[in-house]
Amino acid sequence: MKNIYSPIEAVIEDIIVETPTIKTFMVRPGQEFSFRTGQFIELTLPGAGEAPFTPSSDPNCKDKIELTIMNAGRVTQMLHNAGKNTTVGIRGPYGKGYPLDRFSGKDILIVGGGVGLAPLRSLLFSLFSRIDNYNKVILRYGARTPHDIVYKQMIPEWSKIKNVDVLVTVDVGEPGWGGNVGLVTTVLKDLPLEIKNAVAIVCGPPIMMKFATLKLLDLGFAHSDIYLSMEKNMSCGLGKCGHCRMGRYYTCKDGPVFTYEEIKEIPEIWE
Amino acid sequence: MPQVYYVEKNSLDEFAQRLRKEFTVFVPVVKEQTFTKETEYTYKRLSEAQPLAFNPYRNVEPLKAFFTYSLEKAAEYFNGDVPEMPEEKTVIFGVKSCDIAGHKIQDFVFLEGVEVDSAYRLRRENTVLISGDCTDFKSVCHCLAWEILPHPTSGFDLNLSPLNEGYLAEVGSQKGGDLIQKYKGFFILAKDAQISARRQKRENLTERLKKHLFPQNLVSKDSVQKLMREGYHLDTWHNFMLTCVECGGCNFICDTCHCFLLSDTPEGQRNARLKLWDSCQYGNYARVAGGANPLKTRAQRLRFRFTKKFDFFVDNLGIPACCGCGRCIEVCPAKIDIREVLKDLAKKLNVAS
Repeated sequence: MKNIYSPIEAVIEDIIVETPTIKTFMVRPGQEFSFRTGQFIELTLPGAGEAPFTPSSDPNCKDKIELTIMNAGRVTQMLHNAGKNTTVGIRGPYGKGYPLDRFSGKDILIVGGGVGLAPLRSLLFSLFSRIDNYNKVILRYGARTPHDIVYKQMIPEWSKIKNVDVLVTVDVGEPGWGGNVGLVTTVLKDLPLEIKNAVAIVCGPPIMMKFATLKLLDLGFAHSDIYLSMEKNMSCGLGKCGHCRMGRYYTCKDGPVFTYEEIKEIPEIWE
Repeated sequence: MPQVYYVEKNSLDEFAQRLRKEFTVFVPVVKEQTFTKETEYTYKRLSEAQPLAFNPYRNVEPLKAFFTYSLEKAAEYFNGDVPEMPEEKTVIFGVKSCDIAGHKIQDFVFLEGVEVDSAYRLRRENTVLISGDCTDFKSVCHCLAWEILPHPTSGFDLNLSPLNEGYLAEVGSQKGGDLIQKYKGFFILAKDAQISARRQKRENLTERLKKHLFPQNLVSKDSVQKLMREGYHLDTWHNFMLTCVECGGCNFICDTCHCFLLSDTPEGQRNARLKLWDSCQYGNYARVAGGANPLKTRAQRLRFRFTKKFDFFVDNLGIPACCGCGRCIEVCPAKIDIREVLKDLAKKLNVAS
């Protein structure tokens, strides 16, 4: 009999320090485990608790999962204090993930904020692995300061890929920063894409998601072409514990990725 | 036609005693210490030679308490997938129509959806529900408002209707039918006249309850979702929450509320994952890491409780998640009354009840 609340054993093989508050954990599951891009897992720190994370790694990589995690709460703080070879647990994958089939042949605009680039990186890897399947991939990423940019080494490599266009901006610059300064919404203009044939995928803090969505609507994106990652308290991941309810949906089981069309009638979605 | 049998009171007592040999048998008993004017009933394990009492209306405890526990160990890790769950086979007497209606919600949550909760399923499979008609009601009872009759029509294994010096026992499932077969010496097929008498008694009680509810002018099943949608921004939520002390009692005593929290704790060589009932009326219910909280105010949380019952479940299961048992009304130290909240919305939105 399967116990849906029981995690499988895994081990932290390596840790990459991305920023002062964000680390990427390379986790090797003790048994077969796979996910679709955009689905999330519940990561257990034994004895301490669980928290939901969307992997930032390529779903085609079957033996290792990467999780990019900000030190933001009780469990994440303890994770940040954990070292290599720490035993952890995983449950999942949960949720629906990104509907890649609906992105075929499209111009794909990806808008990330802060650690919100984590699930989007997994999506980018999936797109890159079949790049000819899509017309264009445009990444617009905003971080608070240059220090807060994740995947610093990797991002410049992405812009070398055919039909991939990358722009990074920071809210607050600093000496030596030669890039854009301004909120991510300021780099959502003059986009090299055809809006009628484009989809936008947004992930970041709620306030950034709100203003990015408003900007995209302003640009003329159809409501059903804007994909949003909703952040809620997802405890069980299975649509049973109740916490992540949003209107008629459970964020965990019906999302965590929703189109704006699906959730726009729900009051206070940005809270 | 359902199979209906007649059983003498003494025979039913004997039947229950026989059941004790293979099941843990819970029966309704009068709760000794209460602070209410009405007699309260609670579940207790049947002891030897104890005659069965018939509860005229629902017990204090919700039926869900037999299937999900306020605190239980949900998993031990890492030790494979099978939780150690030696669960007893249980018979529960005294279940009422509202309990069964509420139970549909619990079944939907834990038996359906993306995955099945194995512990819940095991307890469900191991349990025989022996329900009974209501022969009276409490002042807070309002099942009829949700079109739930005060006698069960399905969802039970056996249902008892008091009649003269005994009961009519209706078979509602294979499990119930098997029990009757096994103890067929106690049960004789009911006569048409007895079934008519049962119908008459049921109709009388239903009429009495209707008369009790009529002056209350309750909101109807059909209009309640509209109240949630259109009443979202009304001050009702704020006004009714002024006295809330955030005890969570309304959720814990509710037969349909199912929210739980998973919490891990180190325990010797193993780690235990605890599963605890949770309340959406608690301030940290929806809080996420970093501190964002979509349900910051008590008014938002009251509205969340109501929209879950009357919007979410109507959308997802086709029925509101309220069985009209009135337990939340009785338990609330702040006298927040689910009927009054709905009526206030209806009044402000000009929705006829």
